[in-house]
Amino acid sequence: MAQFSRRSFLQASGLAAAGLASPIGMPAILRSAQAAGPVKLGCLFSSSGTMANLEGRLNYVVKMAADEINAKGGVNARTIDVLVSDPASDWPLYAQSAKQMLQQEKVAALFGCWTSVSRKTVLPVVEQENGLLYYPLHFEGDENSKNVVYVNSPPASSVLPAVDYLMGEEGVSAKRFFMLGSDYVWPRTINKQLKGYFKSKGIPESAWKEEYVPFGFSNFQTLVNQIRAFADQGGGQPVVILTVVGNSIPDFMREFANQGIKATDIPVLGLDMVEADLEGLDTSKLVGHLNCWAYLQNAKGPANVAFLKNWADYVKAKNVPFKGDVAIDPMVSAYDSVHLWAMAAAKAGSFDVPEVSKAFAGLSFDCPSGYKISMTGENNYVARGVFIGSVNDKQGFDILWQSKDTPKPVPFSPYG
Amino acid sequence: MTLWRLPLLIAGLLIAAPACAAGAEPAARAALVEKLCGNAGQMGEAAAALSTLAASGTPEEIGWAAPLARAALDKTLACDDTGAVLAATGTDAVTRAPRAPAPDARTPVLSLKNRAVFEQADAALALRSAADPATRTAALATLERRPAALPEGLLEAAAQGETDPGLRTRIETLAQTAALNAADPAARIRAIGRIAEHPSRRALTQVEALAKDPAYAADPAFRQAVDAGLATIRRGIALGDALATLYNGLSFASILFMAAIGLAIIFGLMGVINLAQGELIMIGAYVTWLVQQGLRQAAPALLDWYLVLAIPVAFLVTAGIGIALEALLLRHLYRRPLMSLLATWAVSLFLVNTVRVVFGTQNLQFETPFYVSGGVPVIGDFIFTWNRMFAILFAAVTLLVTWATVRKTPLGLNIRAVTQNRDMAACIGIPTRRVDMMAFGLGSGLAGLAGLALSPIYSVNPQMGQNFIIDSFMVVVLGGVGTIAGTVVAALGIGQINVLIEPLWGAVAAKVIVLLMIIAFLQWRPEGLFAVKGRRK
Repeated sequence: MAQFSRRSFLQASGLAAAGLASPIGMPAILRSAQAAGPVKLGCLFSSSGTMANLEGRLNYVVKMAADEINAKGGVNARTIDVLVSDPASDWPLYAQSAKQMLQQEKVAALFGCWTSVSRKTVLPVVEQENGLLYYPLHFEGDENSKNVVYVNSPPASSVLPAVDYLMGEEGVSAKRFFMLGSDYVWPRTINKQLKGYFKSKGIPESAWKEEYVPFGFSNFQTLVNQIRAFADQGGGQPVVILTVVGNSIPDFMREFANQGIKATDIPVLGLDMVEADLEGLDTSKLVGHLNCWAYLQNAKGPANVAFLKNWADYVKAKNVPFKGDVAIDPMVSAYDSVHLWAMAAAKAGSFDVPEVSKAFAGLSFDCPSGYKISMTGENNYVARGVFIGSVNDKQGFDILWQSKDTPKPVPFSPYG
Repeated sequence: MTLWRLPLLIAGLLIAAPACAAGAEPAARAALVEKLCGNAGQMGEAAAALSTLAASGTPEEIGWAAPLARAALDKTLACDDTGAVLAATGTDAVTRAPRAPAPDARTPVLSLKNRAVFEQADAALALRSAADPATRTAALATLERRPAALPEGLLEAAAQGETDPGLRTRIETLAQTAALNAADPAARIRAIGRIAEHPSRRALTQVEALAKDPAYAADPAFRQAVDAGLATIRRGIALGDALATLYNGLSFASILFMAAIGLAIIFGLMGVINLAQGELIMIGAYVTWLVQQGLRQAAPALLDWYLVLAIPVAFLVTAGIGIALEALLLRHLYRRPLMSLLATWAVSLFLVNTVRVVFGTQNLQFETPFYVSGGVPVIGDFIFTWNRMFAILFAAVTLLVTWATVRKTPLGLNIRAVTQNRDMAACIGIPTRRVDMMAFGLGSGLAGLAGLALSPIYSVNPQMGQNFIIDSFMVVVLGGVGTIAGTVVAALGIGQINVLIEPLWGAVAAKVIVLLMIIAFLQWRPEGLFAVKGRRK
């Protein structure tokens, strides 16, 4: 590693300042040649706390994608350096880490957040610092910041198609809905929109019920009793729309199976349920329950084969403390994020956020899901495919239904 | 068509040729198999056809159809251009001649709707054809879930062919239940009686719907049967709900008690606020997992009993950690309570991160032995779940053993003496230092046992301990520091109140209300429910 004397540091920063001061009028090649050294990207995923098991693996995916790009010569003739922080599943800490990365490390883009509450705390920071946050989770929509790229789907292209499927002939002709969520912004907003959607379909208010539990809640005995009572009231096929997060998901599913309820009696649509949540569960009693994402591990196509192989190799080579044979949607979305950012930066010939943002229009990328995902200039949303998965007995999901192409994302829901 | 498929096709034709002579049947079979490999609608038709076969087919036809329904459910049906192959046996689905599937064979995934009809078809076929009575009983249990959707004539045929007398009675009962909407009024009245024997909200909905039936107004006997049935069902539901509330409260109380009892001893004896208590619970669960893994290697036959075999191991390991903690760290901090609080917090962080580095952050995979999986419906909507029962029994045994240790052993006598008056106990020759160490070990070991008892209910990961620390302090403080009786009563109270409030105002409000009640109670009685009589510093 090069030794930095105070003097050479001053020289370097002087040069950098000069470079910053006169970027206009210089060709892009010259600019990037001047700003030597790698370009930095920041990760905001927790390696500790309740979200660690889910978010932790995304750090490695971002690094893996960066390695891929570096192996092809980097972006704008500079290699990518990924910085990792640990916001410890503590929402205010996400904002603090974001600020530090943007102000001190001068990262070109941030990749991070799982829960909507963490994204909401980071939002004012990226807007104030004019940074760029790539958010890899499907979420409640109703937000459109120029400083956030919403890589995953808003409800109109994830939750609603899944609910439509359940209500349709091919699904179970669902008529009654038990909405159970953790008590925070994502479940509450999703359920608000769903209620609006049900109303628009002429479903009476008596046909749904809404319940919330605190974060990290695990004693679901009484709630599962309530669900059974709700289901037995008659009036059509009941379904559970589950928006609890973290460890509440496996704990709920375990109690659900223990009380003898099968997917053919009351199917559960787990909106945040991924393969990783099924680790440690006996899924033979849970076969048939549903989830909906923009990627499932069983997606067909060469892009997915390549992605799964790369991930398995990466896990082995870098001794990553996560399973090499499990891939979940947010991993793929984080992977897409890095590539989308690199493509935008290359197209703009710059790492400046306004320049990169201008380059979003018309980007497209061959996502491991098998869809060609794309961005338009209208908003910072990415058009993704839709998958509905069904739990199988091997702790994974089979693809039950998938969309023909990538529906155009609708950021603001008309339903609530 | 590519060339390499030709031999396969020819082979298929050759095998099919003799069967063709038998007439239209093979063509119908091939059409059925084709539907099984078709789209969701066609698969639904195929399932209906299989159900009909189960009701009215010959034994040979039923024997042919049974593996098909099973294969569709198990995803072992490999569909290719020439039909389908049963992957489980490696035979053609139509002719049952051995053949391998084409390399591009696909396995159809059942939609949710089809899964229900296939489960029914599979159960119906198994009821008619399975050799093992246990399989037939399981199949009947599946059919009992939806008696209204059964194909006509299935139960009559099954009852005729049934050799097991107990099973035959059950089939006949089910047949009577299914006759709720039959033409014969006597059969309907009998069906109402049968349904009312197993009261549940579903039964209530079914029978309530009959009040709108024209026969209800016209036929007094029918009306009487419906009213009597409704009354029985309503009574059953009320009783079931009361029992369920009690059971849920008891099970939550047992969890709270297990988490708190170790803390009660440590906090009561030494006044040390041990923030690492939750992590000792977590370590108890990890030790249980290690025992399970060890058994898997060394003695797979005993694997189902790992929860029992892990009891001494979990206790000793966590007790050892507790003793080490006391001897190395807390011993030097007794006169500085704030420091000991910080020190135990540091220990808790250390333990969480050590476990995370060694085992990773994912949830551990536990075997679910038969004695902690599933449940039995008792009455109304009350289901007796075995994993909760395990926790309740475990808590009861722990309570007994702890009580006996504290009340009936010399160690317990010493612990009580030191708790009541440390200086006086030292004066009469009790080695207070050693008592501290042993008591800390006992408290830690109990936390380890809590981890063991909770592993069939909760997810086990490095963070699991943090969920329990607040709840367990709540119980200890409410119960009165250092009393076992107080801990029991507080756990029962908090558990039951939580369960009562939850259905009314939701789980979030239940937590808030319980906390407010505890605060109010402690205003009135700061020493808790049961205070130790004696002089405290």
